[in-house]
Amino acid sequence: MKLEIKGLYKSFEEKEVLHGVSFEVESGKALGLLGRNGAGKTTTIRILMDVFRANKGEICLDGKPFKSEKVKIGYLPEERGLYPKKKVLDQMIFFARLRGMKKKEAEESAHKWLRRLQIEEYAPKKLETLSKGNQQKVQLATTLVCNPDIIILDEPFSGLDPVNAQILKDVVNEQIEDNKLVIFSSHQMSYVEEFCEDIAIINQGKVVLSGNLKEIKKQYGENRLIISAENYSLEHLNKKLEQELQTLIQVEEQKKDFLILKLHQDCTKKQVFEALGKTDIDVDVFGRYEPSLNDIFIAKVGE
Amino acid sequence: MRQFLLVLESELKEYFSTKGFMIWTIIIAVLGAGLLCLPRFIDLSGFTGVQVVAHHDEQEAHKKDKEERERLYLLDEAHITDMEVLEAYFPENEWVIIADEKALRQAVESQEAEAGFVIKAPDTYTYYVYNKKMNDEIGENFEDAMKVFYRRDYCQDHELSYEVMEQVYEAELTVDEQILNKDTRANYFYCYIFVILVYMMIIMYGQMIAVSITSEKSNRAIEVLVTSTTPNSLLFGKVIAGAIGGLLQFGLVIGAILMSYRLNRGVWGSSLDVFLQIPPEVLLVFAFFGLGGYLFYAFLYGAVGALSSKTEDISKTSGGVMMLITIVYIFSLTQLEQVDGMIIKILSFLPVSSYSTMFARIAMGTVSTWEIIVSFVILLVSIIGTGFIGAKIYRMGTLRYGNPIKFTTAIKGIRKMED
Repeated sequence: MKLEIKGLYKSFEEKEVLHGVSFEVESGKALGLLGRNGAGKTTTIRILMDVFRANKGEICLDGKPFKSEKVKIGYLPEERGLYPKKKVLDQMIFFARLRGMKKKEAEESAHKWLRRLQIEEYAPKKLETLSKGNQQKVQLATTLVCNPDIIILDEPFSGLDPVNAQILKDVVNEQIEDNKLVIFSSHQMSYVEEFCEDIAIINQGKVVLSGNLKEIKKQYGENRLIISAENYSLEHLNKKLEQELQTLIQVEEQKKDFLILKLHQDCTKKQVFEALGKTDIDVDVFGRYEPSLNDIFIAKVGE
Repeated sequence: MRQFLLVLESELKEYFSTKGFMIWTIIIAVLGAGLLCLPRFIDLSGFTGVQVVAHHDEQEAHKKDKEERERLYLLDEAHITDMEVLEAYFPENEWVIIADEKALRQAVESQEAEAGFVIKAPDTYTYYVYNKKMNDEIGENFEDAMKVFYRRDYCQDHELSYEVMEQVYEAELTVDEQILNKDTRANYFYCYIFVILVYMMIIMYGQMIAVSITSEKSNRAIEVLVTSTTPNSLLFGKVIAGAIGGLLQFGLVIGAILMSYRLNRGVWGSSLDVFLQIPPEVLLVFAFFGLGGYLFYAFLYGAVGALSSKTEDISKTSGGVMMLITIVYIFSLTQLEQVDGMIIKILSFLPVSSYSTMFARIAMGTVSTWEIIVSFVILLVSIIGTGFIGAKIYRMGTLRYGNPIKFTTAIKGIRKMED
């Protein structure tokens, strides 16, 4: 299954909030949909879910116009919402049936997911009596109860302790391995790096960066090196390098444990390594720079 | 359709699993039916006119201590009173004859006497009373007694037979009343009650529907709901469930009361017929128009529920609907006495008011079949229209949080969505 979002435009009142959002995602893969608050992620998801209609643009599934009612979608909204006064099992069955399951099938699936998320003992309890973490797990179980083909998770890890986060990570990985199409929206970049092969960064209603995460990282790390020394603090090392290696490199950024160097055009890592050997710098760490997703995100939308 | 039925099932389950809903329904039904059984156990003959409790010791009743009787003071300057007549008119009171008007007034002022009368002439008297009641039986009875004295005096003065004159005065007539269409007086009271009942139903259940929808917004269940089903299924499911819940609750209560009255009609001496002996065809018309009006407003309440994000804001968004319902209610009640008037005729075709006015016209006035059909078709089309517009407002308003959305803004929003 291949889902393609092509040039979505959306306005509320007179204000255009999406200016041609495009990205694509395939089954068996997870796409990290990233962006600052108000960037347009939730609006894009709601258009995908047919809650809003786009002013322009289209969504295709395997090349054909996408109809949300024809595909089973599991949606975990950022604004968590279930019925606080209803019993956990009852509402899971209700939502599963709304998404096309038969009653018995829905009941079996609800028990399966409650068991998988280790909250089966709460099945007959009212949601409001559960802890926040367990309510979150019920929400996830409700998302997955209809055995969806497309799973949209909006900030699924917020409010979870490390143990529950690990359970959730395992569940998401199982879904990806099960050839499900996963769209993962989060501000917690470490989780996105863990699950997502592809990312799309939205800023002010536009996709400013999209593609394979490894390739993006490689591209962002190109012509960049990291360095730290035993005998110089990072501040002193910075000055030393600017004095002695200015023909080869430029110090681009100082991180907590190393400096990021940018190679001048036509300069190589080998040349820098050799030049370093001629100085009194006692190199501790030297190598190719691989940026974190956080770095890439800040570089793209932080200004 | 499947999703609509699922929402309907879930909402109905919610109503019937709510302990308060079931307990109150049963309590009110049992209480209503039980009250109508009262004359079987308590002597309500003063009201019903039927003596049911047979073990009534007349002697005991007449042994009422003289001290406990309320006193009435009398100063008869015209010398026309007959104590036998007065005692017949006031069996529960003790008469005290007094010679001084000032003392009589003081006795009434100090509430030693319930009331006092000073007869100046056969056709003139002064009535002293401390607090005059809404239903002032003392004053009315004394006036009747005075008329008897006056007539008796007149007969004596003109050598006429008082007994003959009384017979002529109280002549018994035989009336054969043939009502060819409706008995407005007989149907008035239950019409009045039904208009109030529908008003109560609309307000109570409409508010419940609005609260249910706003709660889904405030607890964000709507986020999952609108991505799982259509706004039409959600709104129609909720409103129809509210209608079924309301009908069952009201039906059970009214059914229990009507059934109980049917069983106890004899002991009530048919005295509640004007309220509770309702012809089946009137009940049928009420069911159709009452339910239609209820659905019409329920959809409006559903839409205004979607315009608020917090339940405490519902009063702001539902104010307009509430005002409309109240205006219609007041108009309907004031027009009940002129069911064939032009105003009620116009109101009986408007979907906002036909639920009560057409019902009243059918029960009490002259209305042709085509008028009933046209009015009902207008109501039906309006219900469907309101349902779909309500669903659009619902769709537009559900994911807009923050301040309540104005109804006019919502309508503009729908137009833009359509564009």
